[in-house]
Amino acid sequence: MTVPNPVGRPLVELAGVSKAYGDVVALHDADLVVRRGELLAIVGPSGSGKSTMLNIMGTLDRPTAGLVRIDGHDVSRLSDRELSALRAGTIGFVFQQFHLAPGVPALDSVADGLLYSGRPRGERRRLAERALRRVGLGHRLRHEPHQLSGGEKQRVAIARAVLGDPPLLLADEPTGALDSRSGTVVLELLHELHESGTAVVVITHDRDIAASLPREVQVKDGRIEHDSAAREATSMPLVPQEAVG
Amino acid sequence: MSAMSATKPPTAPEGTPPPKRPKPARMPPADVLRVGGSGLRSRPMRVFLSALGIAIGIAAMVGVVGISTSSTEDLNRRLSALGTNLLTITPGTSFSGEGAHLPAESVGMIGNIAEVESVSAIGRTDAKVYRNDHVPEQETGGLTVDAARTDLPKSVGTEVVAGSWLNAAHSRYPAVVLGAKAAEQLGVDRVGADVKVWLGGRWFTVVGLLAPNELVPTLDSAALVGWPVAERLLDFDGYPTSIYTRAEESSVSDVQSILGATANPEMPSEVEVSRPSDALAAKQATDDALSGLLLGLGGVALLVGGVGVANTMVISVLERRSEIGLRRSLGATRGQIRTQFLAEALLLSALGGLGGVVLGIGVTTGYASYQGWPTVVPAWAMAGGVGATLVIGGLAGFYPAVRAARLPPTEALATT
Repeated sequence: MTVPNPVGRPLVELAGVSKAYGDVVALHDADLVVRRGELLAIVGPSGSGKSTMLNIMGTLDRPTAGLVRIDGHDVSRLSDRELSALRAGTIGFVFQQFHLAPGVPALDSVADGLLYSGRPRGERRRLAERALRRVGLGHRLRHEPHQLSGGEKQRVAIARAVLGDPPLLLADEPTGALDSRSGTVVLELLHELHESGTAVVVITHDRDIAASLPREVQVKDGRIEHDSAAREATSMPLVPQEAVG
Repeated sequence: MSAMSATKPPTAPEGTPPPKRPKPARMPPADVLRVGGSGLRSRPMRVFLSALGIAIGIAAMVGVVGISTSSTEDLNRRLSALGTNLLTITPGTSFSGEGAHLPAESVGMIGNIAEVESVSAIGRTDAKVYRNDHVPEQETGGLTVDAARTDLPKSVGTEVVAGSWLNAAHSRYPAVVLGAKAAEQLGVDRVGADVKVWLGGRWFTVVGLLAPNELVPTLDSAALVGWPVAERLLDFDGYPTSIYTRAEESSVSDVQSILGATANPEMPSEVEVSRPSDALAAKQATDDALSGLLLGLGGVALLVGGVGVANTMVISVLERRSEIGLRRSLGATRGQIRTQFLAEALLLSALGGLGGVVLGIGVTTGYASYQGWPTVVPAWAMAGGVGATLVIGGLAGFYPAVRAARLPPTEALATT
């Protein structure tokens, strides 16, 4: 397998990526490759630059230097509109604060995950129901955020993020606002998504969580200090770690 | 994607072709409306209040236009019933200051004008009319006694509500027809051989009662007697004091211009010619000036309402930064965020506009039915009202929408 097919193309490639806010360098010369179907943690204390990495991987922000390629697209060559479309089709986000609109039933919140994808409303709602069943909330379709527990809210948010089966899921402190039991359920869910073929990147400050994932990228003071997959990545280039469904 | 692998990549480090550039999907209008409305649904009280501001402005404007149109419609209907071709000739004031009178032959002269359809006259007498012979002489109640020609109704269009108009026989005997106000003041509400009033020092039998006359209101407070009986019993000099003539509709102005000279060839300047329907229309015109002022006030109210909407939208954008960030992360383009907030502002003010139009129609209906007018709210006022709110909403929502769209996604997500 010398010539890889497009499926083998890395999902995320950061090469020499830096991000500075004025004089403050939040990320310095970062190199990272995330392949399809991978599950990894980016771990570091607060202020380490891990959120900056997430924003850059999620195309929410552009680097001040370096090359960013998402699903083969050189981000620097895409317009803001095109980046939006890339996010709509390729990247799902899960945030610490859930970001569920008050007073909106779970089904509608989840269906909004495909609002900007151009799919008709009926299909969006059908997929939303399926996604909610997938995260174990088939009995909470009509519930509004204030009727859900923290763990349930985060599962709704995950359902929204994976509604359109994006190849990449970025989770920013997904368990940060949850008790440990709910956090475990959410992590299990992320494992399940990973097993079904989605690449999942978990940004966390929790070393235990990071250690429980197959790959761990440690960030400190804006630099990648350690990448548990770095040796493998150089020895076996461009081969997906998992079979992709 | 696999089709893409057939094309030769220019420089692909991994040996794979560059993927097709991502293209944002268009949002169907129904989704634009739904997303715009979602921001309103979650804050019903604020929406109600800022829509109310717009509604009051629109209601004021629609109400003013509606009321003035209804009143004009009422006048037009009345005028078309009364006719606008009635001309009144009265003696002006002579240089000596005395009330002049018209030459006795002027009625005949006017009748000879080709375009004149009918002509009639009344002549003021010095007699007074009282309820009975016990009433003190000075308590005339402002009522007048006029000699009337039998053909008066044909020109003036008087409507008899009881009894009949003076005929040739009545004209020679002490018979009287009372105007509406005169009848009321004299306490007469029926006719008959036994119904009499004390007129010029003798009893006159009431033979007819008139309805109020809008074109010639002076007839309302008059007691009308026959020309011959006035000359015989009331010392009437036989000179007409008011001549009423109807000209052909098409030549009313022409007739109006020669009436002075015709009625009094010797002193045409001492004759006043007027067109009563003009007076009614002129009264309407003063109402229009007031309407203009009220319309301006409505406009100010609308402007204030627009500022309210702008304020609501600015606050809404500030409060919903994280929602904006989330939507950007879900793939919304700047344009789609801008459209969302613009749609929200437009919906908000359209809500106010529609409410205002309904309110305005309500106000018009209420006032018009109170005045006994037909209710007319012109379609242009309703369409203009809603149109104006859309312009206001667009202006009020534009700046907040642009600000929302310019917000960088990371900054928007950073706020909780």
